[in-house]
Amino acid sequence: MSSTQQRGEYVPTIALIGCGAFAEMYYLPALVRFPGVAEKLILVDSNGARAQHLASRFGIHRCVDDYRAILGEVDAAIVAAPHHLHYPISMDFLQHSAHVLCEKPLAEKASEAREMVAEAERAGVTLSANYAQRLFPSSVKVKELLAGGALGKLASIHYSWGSLYTWPTASGFYFNARLSPRGVLLDRGPHAVDLICWWLGDKPAVVSCQHDSFGGAEAVAQVELSHGDCAITIALSWLNELPNEYVIRGERGEIRNGIEDWWRIPIALPSGKVHKIKLAHDEQDYFDFGRRLIANFLNVIRAGDKPLIPAGDVIPSVEVIEACYRTATRFAMPWYENLGTLWSPASAR
Amino acid sequence: MIASEIVLVTGAAGFVGGRIVEALFLSGAATPRAGIRTWSSAARIARFPVDLVLCDIMKPEQIEPAMDGVSTVVHCAYSDARDVIVQGTKNVLEAAQRAGVERVVFISTAEVYGHDVAGIVDETFPCRYTGWEYADSKIDAERLCWEFCAKGLPVTVLRPSIVYGPFCQTWIAGFARRLRSGQWGIFQQYGDGICNLVYVDDLVSATFLAAHHNAAAGEAFNVNGPDIITWNEFFRRFNTALGLPALREISPARLRLKASVMDLARLSAGRVRQVVGPAAAKTARLFLDADRRQGVKKTLKRAQRHMKATASMRDIERLYSRRAIYTASKAQDKLGYQPRFDADRGLQLSVRWLEHHSLARGSAAEIEEAGQP
Repeated sequence: MSSTQQRGEYVPTIALIGCGAFAEMYYLPALVRFPGVAEKLILVDSNGARAQHLASRFGIHRCVDDYRAILGEVDAAIVAAPHHLHYPISMDFLQHSAHVLCEKPLAEKASEAREMVAEAERAGVTLSANYAQRLFPSSVKVKELLAGGALGKLASIHYSWGSLYTWPTASGFYFNARLSPRGVLLDRGPHAVDLICWWLGDKPAVVSCQHDSFGGAEAVAQVELSHGDCAITIALSWLNELPNEYVIRGERGEIRNGIEDWWRIPIALPSGKVHKIKLAHDEQDYFDFGRRLIANFLNVIRAGDKPLIPAGDVIPSVEVIEACYRTATRFAMPWYENLGTLWSPASAR
Repeated sequence: MIASEIVLVTGAAGFVGGRIVEALFLSGAATPRAGIRTWSSAARIARFPVDLVLCDIMKPEQIEPAMDGVSTVVHCAYSDARDVIVQGTKNVLEAAQRAGVERVVFISTAEVYGHDVAGIVDETFPCRYTGWEYADSKIDAERLCWEFCAKGLPVTVLRPSIVYGPFCQTWIAGFARRLRSGQWGIFQQYGDGICNLVYVDDLVSATFLAAHHNAAAGEAFNVNGPDIITWNEFFRRFNTALGLPALREISPARLRLKASVMDLARLSAGRVRQVVGPAAAKTARLFLDADRRQGVKKTLKRAQRHMKATASMRDIERLYSRRAIYTASKAQDKLGYQPRFDADRGLQLSVRWLEHHSLARGSAAEIEEAGQP
């Protein structure tokens, strides 16, 4: 059976909570590929016009503007709402015995994440998380290589992800400081931190965190972690391009790969030779991984399969990111010194 | 101005508009309202907990609510398209007039004087059309400003020259890449024109004065920096600030030849991309594996960077060799404008910003891969 095949005849009723850009580009194209799913799918968004627009485009019959109206009515929910709502919405569905697939980050606080996992266990349903970079064949291979000791003792891991923010966000929730003044660290950080925790099989300690927030959503962040003798740095930016790669250095070699180059793993050996491992894959672009995730979620709901990414697995990353925010300091940015004095009645002549 | 007063800044996601919002927020002297065209452009300005509103200047239905309670408008939004500059400005002025705004400051450009000027250029010089859509449209937008001013809306027009500083893509991020490419150099007589650098914070100061001074309404002011240096000197000083090896001299003949060839390449590349781009991407997916597709993309990006790192004939003839000084004497005399950032200080801060954004450091490979900031 391929990774995107599904078992069983029963078509569950699923609610997709949040009709933003990610729902449009990732979840909906994947969901409507599976027979019968679209007919029973319910789109939920407080912006009714937006939900209706996507319903017409994808052939969905039902939209509601408040998810509380359908609690107890659905088999499962996919939570793709703004970050700060992941916890309350997921909890409501779990308490009504619905399986939940929650978009990253699972929650903003580790206590919330733990509560969500406990509630799923209590209700006898599953809670899955979408940390899509874990699904990349390259990420799986790195885990396998590190577990097998292919690089020997690790000296350092560096992960960078930076590009000008162009995500076609429909609601702009990221930029509403009143809802949650958290930015790139909560947006791109979960992928980076989760991969590192997963690869190491352990949670690294936070050494430092710097970002550029003046009270709003940070756009650049730099995190230093440590795990034994292994120094870990994570550089994230919404404002400019970074190398967009991870570099894992060990005593027996180095893996340097593009973060979205899921089809290969190059290993540089101490001799200087680079060994390229080509990996089997069906996916042509990032959004294709949605199909695999949804196929698994359908099998989780109707056949009791194990989630590809059980929520409990990602709690260490939620803990690390929470600790980063707690200890964060602002970068030294001398180009902001005295800027506040330029627009001042005192300087008017 | 008191903190409860609201200043609407259009184009707040941009280089100048963003800096004005940041200065307003940090001053605490007024409440900035940051007008942006799309949410996806908000990452820089949203680092500050300011009032962010969608305010596409081509959508009057968005401008109207953005003007609510506003006493001052700083109009920075623009694009290269004539319609956005002219009709967009008209939309802003109409909404400001309806809302009873006390002052509109329109950020225009010194390019309204045309490229064929020399010597000391002050505000008495006529505006001249040159066929460059951006500058010609700014002239027409200024005319609209005067029309509305005559109808009772207090408008001030600022004509800054070469505005640079943190977040500047054209003169800082773009030139850092050019200088790092090793293809740039000293252009001899073609680089002996006056650079007219003004650090963005000096433009912020000028904007504040334009927004407050009684003598500013109905007037246009040049805004320039404190020192007069040539383009060659700008290249040298920026190159030094970046810690790069000395620039080589490029002979006029070689400069013109390279620029002509590259202009042709730029034109052809643009056409090819338009005509066969989408089909080529689909075909590549059918016949090339992921590694090879990535290889082709990297090659194309390298070619694009190479083209960007070569001066165009237009810039050589009309900008780097232009011997004009856009004097800010009127702003100094009437408003008390005093530019504080000389080129060395401004470039030093700009390089610190570049370093922060990892554009000026790292391995050559990292820089090469970095591409557009």
